[in-house]
Amino acid sequence: MERGDATRVVVELAGEAPIVGGVGNTTFDLVPFDRPTIFHMWNSMGMASSIALGVALAQPDRRIVVLDGDGALLMNLGSLATVGMADARNLVHVVWDNGGWEITGGQPAGTSFGVDLASAGRACGIPHTATVDELEAFRQVFAEAIADDEAWLIVARVAPGDSPHRPDKNLVRLRDRFRAALTASA
Amino acid sequence: MVTVIKRSGRHQAANAPAWAHHVLDAFRAEEVRNLVFVPDTVMGRLLALAEEDAFFRPIAVHREEEAVGVLSGLYLGGQRGAMLVQSSGLGNALNALGSLAAAYRIPFPMLISLRGELGEFNPAQLVMGRAVPGCLSALGLQHLTLRREDELDVLLSGALKTCYTAEEPFGILLSGQLTGWKPER
Repeated sequence: MERGDATRVVVELAGEAPIVGGVGNTTFDLVPFDRPTIFHMWNSMGMASSIALGVALAQPDRRIVVLDGDGALLMNLGSLATVGMADARNLVHVVWDNGGWEITGGQPAGTSFGVDLASAGRACGIPHTATVDELEAFRQVFAEAIADDEAWLIVARVAPGDSPHRPDKNLVRLRDRFRAALTASA
Repeated sequence: MVTVIKRSGRHQAANAPAWAHHVLDAFRAEEVRNLVFVPDTVMGRLLALAEEDAFFRPIAVHREEEAVGVLSGLYLGGQRGAMLVQSSGLGNALNALGSLAAAYRIPFPMLISLRGELGEFNPAQLVMGRAVPGCLSALGLQHLTLRREDELDVLLSGALKTCYTAEEPFGILLSGQLTGWKPER
């Protein structure tokens, strides 16, 4: 499946749920659907899952979506154990798995050599995990995850490809709009 | 998963040192509720006290870089927290401090217990421990070192106020002069 198509599905089904966009193409793909409840990362690759855990713990009454990459998650794989331990039920963790680091030139990560991130999630205590290859299957499982009241890890196998889009580069503006959107009605 | 496990391990609140009471009082006064930590002997004494206090929420992470991410997420979600780590662990968090917290101007106090300064028995703790003030300075982050009990309240309250005014992480280093050290040689 194409990452951009799957990103559109996420944004459509997430509704008002905050979305943490991981460094690189993952968050670039969100730009056409931009809104204040999207947090764009510009660096600190691997931190998406940890940032989302913090948001989830601060906002337990919202579903929190994090879009991550397989290469990025492998840089912070311990965060799956932390999420399992924290029992953050409102976290929906989506991993775009293209087998490596697209943003730096398509170098392969462990996922190109058989590393199974959904199994890792299960082993870390994430109650619901899924791996999907087709857009329609992704739509179904994401719809289930966003409507659920437990944590999910969805690994979606996507085609490689660079995004032409870029978010705002004023980081304080990115911080403030997201924080304001989350705390306004809290 | 199991959530009733005591986060501070074998440390007991009744044995908590005076400095730990001062730190928690200062955190409480600034609504710093979430204590995001990686285990450390010194921090264990503070956590034992915090665990008995419903105001505080200890949040365990497995590596210090995660703490920066979690604290950033908490702040974005409207809650304040503090990072509780050992000096060696600060080294694990440096890129996230620079590329996330400092870059996006996300404030939180970093309580860092200093190894390698006074009474150190482990030669492998010396280099990173001594590098902590320099690392924080190189990132452009303010820091101070707590050494004496009679200075705690003014330094803690002053550091926390400046941290949130500056909207940046602020290093609060715990010297062995305050926290003691192991008898091991």
